[in-house]
Amino acid sequence: MVEDSYTREEENYEDEELGETSFKSVKDAVLFAIDISSSMLTPRPSPDPKKHGDESPASAALKCAYHLMQQRIISNPHDMIGVLLYGTQSSKFYDENEDDRGDLSYPHCYLYTDLDVPSAQEVKQLRSLASPADADDDVRQVLEPSKEPVSMANMLFCANQIFTSKAPNFSSRRLFVVTDNDNPHADNKGMRSAATVRARDLYDLGVNIELFPISQPDHEFDTSKFYDDIIYKTSPSDGEAPHQLEIRPRRSLFSNVPLEIGPNFKISVNGYLLLKKQEPARSCFVWQGGETAQIAKGVTTLMSDDTGQEIEKSDIRKAYKFGGEQVSFTIEEQQALRSFGDPVIRIIGFKPLSALPFWANVKHPSFIYPSEEDYIGSTRVFSALHQKLLESEKLALVWFIPRRNASPVLAAMIAGAEKIDENGVQKVPPGVWIIPLPFADDVRQNPESTVHRAGDALNDAMRDVVRQLQLPKAVYDPSKYPNPSLQWHYRILQAIALDEDFPESPDDKTVPKYRQVHKRAGDYILKWAEELKLQASETFGGSVAATSTLVKRGAKTEAAGEHPSKRVKVEDSVSGVEDEVKKCYAKGTVSKLTVAVLKEFLHAHGRATAGKKADLVDRVEQYFEQKF
Amino acid sequence: MAEKEATVYIVDMGRSMGERHHGRPMTDLEWAMQYVWDRITATVATGRKTATVGVVGLRTDETINDLEEENFSNISILFGLGQVLMPDIRKLREIIKPSNTNRGDAISSIVIAMQMIIEYTKKNKYKRKIILVTNGTGVMSDDNIEGIIEKMKEVNIELVVIGADFDDAEYGVKEEDKDSRKAENETLLRSLTEDCEGVYGTLEQAVSELDIPRIKVTKSMPSFKGNLTLGNPEEYDTAMTIPVERYFRTYVAKPISASSFVPRSGTEPGSQAPVKGNAEGDALASVRTSRTYQITDESAPGGKIDVERDDLAKGYEYGRTAVPIEQTDENVANLQTFAGMGLIGFVQKDQYDRYMHMSNTNIIIPQRANDNASLALSSLIHALYELESYAVARLVTKESKPPMLVLLAPSVEADYECLIEVQLPFAEDVRSYRFPPLDKIITVSGKVVTEHRNLPSVALKDAMSNYVDSMDFITTNDEGQPTDDLPIDESFSPLLHRIESAVRYRAVHPNDPVLDPSERLTEFAHPSEDMVKNSKSHLEKLMSVADVKKVPPKTKGRKRQRETEKPLSGLDVDALLSLEPKRTKISTENAIPEFKQTLSRAENIDAIHDAVQQMAKIIETQITHSLGHSNYDRVIEGLGTMREELVDYEEPAVYNDFVRQLKGKMLREELGGIRRELWWFVRKGKLGLIGKSEVDSSAVEEEEAQEFLAPN
Repeated sequence: MVEDSYTREEENYEDEELGETSFKSVKDAVLFAIDISSSMLTPRPSPDPKKHGDESPASAALKCAYHLMQQRIISNPHDMIGVLLYGTQSSKFYDENEDDRGDLSYPHCYLYTDLDVPSAQEVKQLRSLASPADADDDVRQVLEPSKEPVSMANMLFCANQIFTSKAPNFSSRRLFVVTDNDNPHADNKGMRSAATVRARDLYDLGVNIELFPISQPDHEFDTSKFYDDIIYKTSPSDGEAPHQLEIRPRRSLFSNVPLEIGPNFKISVNGYLLLKKQEPARSCFVWQGGETAQIAKGVTTLMSDDTGQEIEKSDIRKAYKFGGEQVSFTIEEQQALRSFGDPVIRIIGFKPLSALPFWANVKHPSFIYPSEEDYIGSTRVFSALHQKLLESEKLALVWFIPRRNASPVLAAMIAGAEKIDENGVQKVPPGVWIIPLPFADDVRQNPESTVHRAGDALNDAMRDVVRQLQLPKAVYDPSKYPNPSLQWHYRILQAIALDEDFPESPDDKTVPKYRQVHKRAGDYILKWAEELKLQASETFGGSVAATSTLVKRGAKTEAAGEHPSKRVKVEDSVSGVEDEVKKCYAKGTVSKLTVAVLKEFLHAHGRATAGKKADLVDRVEQYFEQKF
Repeated sequence: MAEKEATVYIVDMGRSMGERHHGRPMTDLEWAMQYVWDRITATVATGRKTATVGVVGLRTDETINDLEEENFSNISILFGLGQVLMPDIRKLREIIKPSNTNRGDAISSIVIAMQMIIEYTKKNKYKRKIILVTNGTGVMSDDNIEGIIEKMKEVNIELVVIGADFDDAEYGVKEEDKDSRKAENETLLRSLTEDCEGVYGTLEQAVSELDIPRIKVTKSMPSFKGNLTLGNPEEYDTAMTIPVERYFRTYVAKPISASSFVPRSGTEPGSQAPVKGNAEGDALASVRTSRTYQITDESAPGGKIDVERDDLAKGYEYGRTAVPIEQTDENVANLQTFAGMGLIGFVQKDQYDRYMHMSNTNIIIPQRANDNASLALSSLIHALYELESYAVARLVTKESKPPMLVLLAPSVEADYECLIEVQLPFAEDVRSYRFPPLDKIITVSGKVVTEHRNLPSVALKDAMSNYVDSMDFITTNDEGQPTDDLPIDESFSPLLHRIESAVRYRAVHPNDPVLDPSERLTEFAHPSEDMVKNSKSHLEKLMSVADVKKVPPKTKGRKRQRETEKPLSGLDVDALLSLEPKRTKISTENAIPEFKQTLSRAENIDAIHDAVQQMAKIIETQITHSLGHSNYDRVIEGLGTMREELVDYEEPAVYNDFVRQLKGKMLREELGGIRRELWWFVRKGKLGLIGKSEVDSSAVEEEEAQEFLAPN
């Protein structure tokens, strides 16, 4: 058997997405700056009619920060996140103490969660702040608004200092400002211009300020009053309420790769990974000798097998085993062999979309979007190509080298239309998808298989079943299916880290809705089973007699059918095994069964069949214990 | 297991094989050996002991064979059947040279090869083959040819004859002024191979086909055997269960992997020349790795201490918290699952976006020898096909494996039916980045604009449409009819085949440089010449309408975008900044913004010098006060910012002077101790001298810039 889930692709380097500049480390730091004013703390009805209960904007923002924190622990385990409350009565900044009030650098700024990769404790603290109803007084006290106004310049410089010291040299640093006050220093020109200067500092430091404005019930948030002087770039999430805010760094997989539409005709595009399998982080080694557990870093040293001496990476020569010896290449030769030219996406022709078979796929796609960086006019040309491919239902065949020294692939390039959800929010961006095709080397031969074509009546019966069980709107919507093993993994880690009780059972949305299947399609399935029995006895004659004598579990046993070559040794049918094992369990004599029967039974129920007989017996007994 | 093989190559080494014919740059023997070496090294590359090879020389000076008869003179067994290893290749390369004789009968050499195979393989199951490569100029006798044919068929040996300049009407080769004896010989060999049901071909074709990559056929093993269910058979009587098996449909073939070696200590370190092809055989020693574990300990020198592997527990990271997992419940963080493929529901084919495919594809076929399952699965396949639907299922391939969501599509061919399966994304796998629409522009104020420099004009759209329509990629079937297929069968993994052939070539030609990839591998790197010609006028039109301009490399820097350094309101913050009284000196805590702002205000070179001096001081202080590596990221950010800005302002000398001094101070340990690790970060960030290639006015040559960052 081949393991194909969780195998780690060798291509993990794709995750090392390219930064704009090489000296920066490709990491993201997000600092929430949440305005804690009395209006921010006043619960108001949610704009989303599906949600019940009133909630204050501050609480919604904190919840959002909490969810983002949890989500990033899974998806971006090395990125930082912090929460700075401003406009609070109390103040907190690193070592500064509330008691020496006179010396406070940042009054009414409360650094609740320091900017860092979150610890389990911080997750817990933020959770308690986000749902103050369950929190104790200490926590609630933090959310006491200040009586005097906070200086925005001070808050921005406070954020500046946090970024400067905690996230130096990060390629992406973002300050999320959540507020419902569109004009903080309406009557103080000095304060206002101080704030614009501090905002400019942040811009020069490479910190992006993203505003999450909240309109008040009787007042639309007007960015022109203050924030247009503070913010330098429009962010795509402008103008949305904080509970919808979309907060992921937009990192490119490759940037400014030429898309060669024809000989000597290039435009520039950036590549993104919009679809990528999210895996749980690898296990590591933990040292528990100290006060807190800590991760032990593995250090690999390379040694010559010959002398046992440590060797430098640069001394290493790559060689291939061949005819009992090694055939070696110098490092330069090795590089030359891997080089097929500079990165490029080169169109070599067009085909109808229907030419792309369902099976011709080897991995997730890349997404490209135009960039004006290298070629001015790229966007309009890309747009023309995008529209043409959509209209004519064509695909472009491309020779694709995403990075320097990456192995070239032949790929199908297809246009994707923009998709908007019912709230007007973009679900799928417009752009072009590059789907790497298999080479002839990657296509496997179909194994032998006997084909017994079903008759019309049986197909009709199955069609009725299929019609009953369409997914909503007949589409697959990934957002409805969180990865159950990933969620469970982190849920358990969180429970261990916070010393909480383990959750009882996982919330697994991928388990089929059995009751619905039974209710909506049960009768049709039985009809199909009848028809199957009929056609089987017509086609294969008496060979199915053994199964047809069984009464209960109609449909199941019909199809399970026979396995003549092996079954002879074991039993005459699966249901025979089923009944036999069941009887033995009732009598407590499971261990009397043969290994073959036990394995047959376990396999039919999706259980592992490895191990000694005692293990198999245990597993069978477990099965019945769980069931009843 | 692949079948055992016994293949004997008969190489004609006669004097005439040393001649060059028809203007070829290589001798007939060299030409023939291209083919023979390719075949032999292909066998060696498999590393299989049971793929045996023998080599017989025909028309050799000596006679080395067991049949001591006149008829069999000048035929030498050069290598008896067995696995070929590197030393054998080297030995054969030495021996296989044109001889000084033209005596020796090709038919007799075939008899000797048969003899070798019969003796070696006995009655065992083998794939037997004789490959004769000759220019057909010697004397051949057809005595007892019927006996040979009979024996060949009896022991089931495939005979392949490849001839230099042999006529081949099918391939379109005909030698003019052919020597009459050669013509006779060709006729004899042709009828012999035909009678043996073998293969007869011309060398030109054989050599030309060498660059057609050979695909390794891999026998697929099932990756899942279990039940496809609809409903829950454990709970409901109405559940459907179909036993199925799952096999790869596509799976990326990986190039052979290289292992790491170091030159053996005995080898003279002075001989820098690479040990090409490793002629000595053993000059490389393999590399071992050993792993040690370290934890942070502020009190220890260097801030780290080693810990024993045995003192460590397995665990995971939750944020920055280490979560140890006790050995007893190691599986506690794994979701409990049971094997099976459960149908979740059905979707419409035309509602599915093809780019959601996340993985390689598999096929689902009924359990072997289960007629009922085959009938049942067939009805599902046809129902999906007729309803133009796909099924969504939850697949667990083995107990305790994480569940996958898969899409199942029907595949109905004349004599084969199956479901094709591919993985779908989970919610976490979708990164929702947002991008502006491509067919309209929405301004900050919410206005929709349809005419803009970033939107295509009608003329551009038309030109694009015409160009795309003129660039249809043509594929044809065996009859030459156009098809709607992608050229998957004709495309070969360039890296895999290039490495494989480079290894084989190097094994035989240790001193040659590596070759360029064969044309066949890069066939799809460019559009075909015909297509380019056909679409030329449309492309020219498109290019002129598109009016795309390359950004000159010079202005690519950030300074080009000066106008964007204003907030959305367009407020002139620079004016406000210059009013700030505090900002005459660069402060440590706000160094980077203030450095940038000072530079942008600088009116003369002195001001730039001054700013750099101040910044330099701040950076040196940060280094000096860094406990271990605590300030290194800030230092690198400062250095990087300085370098970037000074490149943009085209003032390389100021930076170069500074970084030279800094390097000296760091390596002389004048900045608070050993700073080698920081120097390593500087090298990694490529923050060395600014060379001529970056800024024209730089006085630093590229070599000097590289030398500056070289390891020492």
